[in-house]
Amino acid sequence: MRNIIIILIFLLLFPLTASISAPRDDYLGQLEKMAKQFDDSFSGFSVERGKELYFRKSTTGKAETPSCTTCHSDSPLKAGQTRAGKPIDPMAVSKTPSRFTDIEKIEKWFRRNCKSVLGRECTPIEKGDFITFLMSQ
Amino acid sequence: MKNKNIKQIKVWDLPIRIFHWALLVLILAALLSGFFAPEWWLNYHIWIGYVIIGLVIFRLIWGFFGSSYSRFVSFIFSPKILLEHIKGINSNQPIYFLGHNPLGALMVFALLFVISAIIISGLINLGGIENQGPFAFLIDYATGFIAGKWHIFLAYLLIIMIFLHILGVIFESKISRISLVRAMINGKKPNLANLDNKIAIGLIKPQILPTISIMAIFAIIFIGGYFLLSRQAPSGFILMEVNEDFQSECADCHELYSPSLLPASSWEKMMNELDNHFGEDASLDIETTKNIAAYLRKYSAENWDSEASNNFMIVDNKAPYKISETPFWKERHKNIDENLFKTKPVKGKGNCSACHADAELGYFHDKNIKFRNKPVK
Repeated sequence: MRNIIIILIFLLLFPLTASISAPRDDYLGQLEKMAKQFDDSFSGFSVERGKELYFRKSTTGKAETPSCTTCHSDSPLKAGQTRAGKPIDPMAVSKTPSRFTDIEKIEKWFRRNCKSVLGRECTPIEKGDFITFLMSQ
Repeated sequence: MKNKNIKQIKVWDLPIRIFHWALLVLILAALLSGFFAPEWWLNYHIWIGYVIIGLVIFRLIWGFFGSSYSRFVSFIFSPKILLEHIKGINSNQPIYFLGHNPLGALMVFALLFVISAIIISGLINLGGIENQGPFAFLIDYATGFIAGKWHIFLAYLLIIMIFLHILGVIFESKISRISLVRAMINGKKPNLANLDNKIAIGLIKPQILPTISIMAIFAIIFIGGYFLLSRQAPSGFILMEVNEDFQSECADCHELYSPSLLPASSWEKMMNELDNHFGEDASLDIETTKNIAAYLRKYSAENWDSEASNNFMIVDNKAPYKISETPFWKERHKNIDENLFKTKPVKGKGNCSACHADAELGYFHDKNIKFRNKPVK
C-alpha cells in the first residue's frame, strides 16, 4: 500500500517536472527552425560551440562586460554576481532547473547581454548552442 | 577665609548642586557627541538632549520652590544694583553677594535661555532633516535645515558663554578669596558682612512636594507627548505603492534605489538611456519602460521630503543619474577610505544598503548606518 502511494505521488508530480522544462524544449525547437533558415548547413546545436561562446573574450561589446564570465563566473556550475554585486544563480540547468523556462525572460536577457558582451544581437545558432551547453552542465 | 568667627552658611542646596554638575557633564557630552562623534552616535546625542530638558525643567521649577538662593527672586536684581556691582568690580572692591551676584545671575538666565533654544532648534532639526523625534510629523526639510544652522550657532555661543562663566567664577573667587567651585560642591559660603541679605538666610525652605508634583505633571506631558507625537507619520513621506516591474526589473541586477533619490529629470534621462545603463544594456520593452518611468516620476525627489531627496536634487550634469557623483554624496562620503567600497560586503558605491540599513526605503537615517568596521576619518 505504501509503495503504491509513493508511486502515485511520483505519477502526480511527473507532469509538474515535465512542464517545467517544456517551454525550454519549445524554445529550442523554435531556435532550431530559425537556425535552419539562418544557415542551410546547420546540423544541430553544439555543446562545444556553446562552451566556446560562454568563455569567449569579446572586444566588440561594452568594455565593462568582455565576457559571459564577467558576471556569470568562470563556471556555469557556480553562482555569479552582477557588477552591482547581486548574486546570480548558476547558469547550468542542473544547478538551476528554472533556467531557460520563461521565454520572455530568455529573450530579454539574450538581447541585453549579447549587446553588452558582443555588441550585437546573438544569432539563433549562438542562442541554441548556449542553451545546449548549459543543459549539458 | 580662615576666620573662625565667620559662620559658614549653606547657600546652595543639594538639588541645585547636583543640577549644576549634572548639567556640566551632560552639556560636555552633548557638545562632544555633536561636534566630534560619527553620525551613528546621533541617538546618544539626542538622548543627552532629552535628559537636559529634564534638568532645565527641574531648574525652572526649583527657581520657584527651591531654597532661598535657588529661587529666581533671590537673583533678580535692579539695574541700579547691577551698575553698582559693575562699578565695584572696576574699582576692585566688588560687593559681596551670598548667592548669585548680578552679573552671574544674568549669566544663569542667559545659559538657561540658550540651552533651551539649543534643545528646541535641535528637535526641529531632528524632525525636519532626520524625520525623527516628536516634530517629524510637523517640520519639513527646509525648516529643519535652518534650525540646524541655529543649533550649531547657539552651541558655539554656549561654548563662549561657558568660558565667560568660568572666567567670572575665577575672577570672583580671586577677589573674594572664596572658592566658588568649592561652594558649588559643599554648598557653603562664609557669611561676610556687607552681604546681600534681602532674603533672610534659612528663612525659605525648599518645597519638595510641589516640586515633585509639578515635575511629575511635566514628565507626563513630555513623555506622553513624545510617544504620541513621535509615532505620527513623518511629514513629506508618502507611502509608495509596490510596483512589480520596478521591483523585479531593477532588482535583477542591483539593489532597489528609492525613486526619491533623484529628480524626475534624471530618472527620465536614465529611462531613455537604458541601452547603456552604467556600461550594460538594460533595455526593456516599451510598456515596462513606460510603467517604471511613470513610477519613478511619481515618487521622484521633488515629491518627497527626506534629507537624501532634498540633497540629491542637485546632480552632476555630466552624470545626471549617478547618485554617487552628486555633490552631496561626495561630500558625505569624502572621509571614507576608497578601498572600503571595494571590499566584500560593500562591492561598490552603488550598494547603499551595505552600510545604510534603510536605504531601500529612501530614509538614510544617521542612526541606521550599520557598516562601521572602518572608522570614518
